[in-house]
Amino acid sequence: MDETQLIARVRAGDSAAERALYDAHVDRVYRLAFRLAGDDTLAQDFTQETFIRAFDRLGSFRGDAALSTWLHAITTTVVLNGLRKMKRFRQREADIDDAQSVGVTRREAEPDLKTRLKKAIDALPEGYRTVFVMHDVEGYTHEEIGAALGVETGTSKAQLSRARAKLRVALSDFAGEWVP
Amino acid sequence: MIDQDEDPKFEQWLKDAAKSYHSPLPTPREEMWKRIEEARRNKQVIEIRPWMRWALAAAAVLVIGIGIGRWTAHPRAVNAPVVASADSVRSDVAYQVAAQQYLTRTEVLLTDFRAQSARGRLDPQFVAAARDLLTTTRLMLDSPAANDPRLQPLLEDLELVLAQITQLPAEPGRKNEMDWINQGLNQRSVLTRLRTATPAIPAAPAPVRAQGVS
Repeated sequence: MDETQLIARVRAGDSAAERALYDAHVDRVYRLAFRLAGDDTLAQDFTQETFIRAFDRLGSFRGDAALSTWLHAITTTVVLNGLRKMKRFRQREADIDDAQSVGVTRREAEPDLKTRLKKAIDALPEGYRTVFVMHDVEGYTHEEIGAALGVETGTSKAQLSRARAKLRVALSDFAGEWVP
Repeated sequence: MIDQDEDPKFEQWLKDAAKSYHSPLPTPREEMWKRIEEARRNKQVIEIRPWMRWALAAAAVLVIGIGIGRWTAHPRAVNAPVVASADSVRSDVAYQVAAQQYLTRTEVLLTDFRAQSARGRLDPQFVAAARDLLTTTRLMLDSPAANDPRLQPLLEDLELVLAQITQLPAEPGRKNEMDWINQGLNQRSVLTRLRTATPAIPAAPAPVRAQGVS
């Protein structure tokens, strides 16, 4: 059964088709949600919300783009909105992310690359981080990112370059690992 | 400018290193599907219907007067509750705002509860916020809004969870009780139902455009 037939069956209320659609896309949706949220419980919540909204709105899906593109647009909207709500709520707390604070920290204090890299990525502005995670970590193309985020492909490319530039500065004391 | 910054060696190194960033666990397919099915069965889209308005008006007074003040940028304004005028309380906007605020704040609080419970301790401000929301929930349960078969089960579940949270002792080391509350949240799919009960989100995310990148 191709995707068009599957969608038609879902629209007709076929629960087996709903499950088939879910099975076909859930891995990538969950992976993206997890990469952006960094928490299994939140990733599950966001994935569930994505599919609930998708099933509710499938009637308005026109098929101009691939279903996966449409689903990933819902995913990024759900995740980014959810994370924004959390961030607003936690602003009182001392450990809130500071989007402006990508900086060089002393290697002696944090020798672990994994930890340093995580902090540096977390500290990127939201748009930069989203594009970086989608492209460099999850392997989305700029076209897919543009469609999911509702931005031009060029914007996605520019965001990625800027994200990489910030990370390069933040991780400069690891330069020996990429400069032979 | 951007081209000058490109460095294939760095980019490859970064890509390899970033594979460990928020490395996903295996997809819990069945668990999530079960919750999706349950949430869709109990789907509750909150419609602000005329017969519900007076009840939400009461909630609006409480939410606007206590909730917003405590939860937003002016925590010290809590001692001076805002009394909404009769006209504004009657307006559709007030009802919509009240309902949206209530659902959103409850959703955020319960989501944050799970994060805080992982540390095994809740801060006092958090418990105070839960207490305010519990009061609002009970007010809504005492109103005709609770006659709505779609809304009532959610409100009852929220009341139970919020009551459990407010009764948690302040001292640390209560992780078991918190885990128990979390289990209840998961089993009843409370957060999923709450998230899907909130008003629709914008079609496209704003922040990427808001970065000022053309």
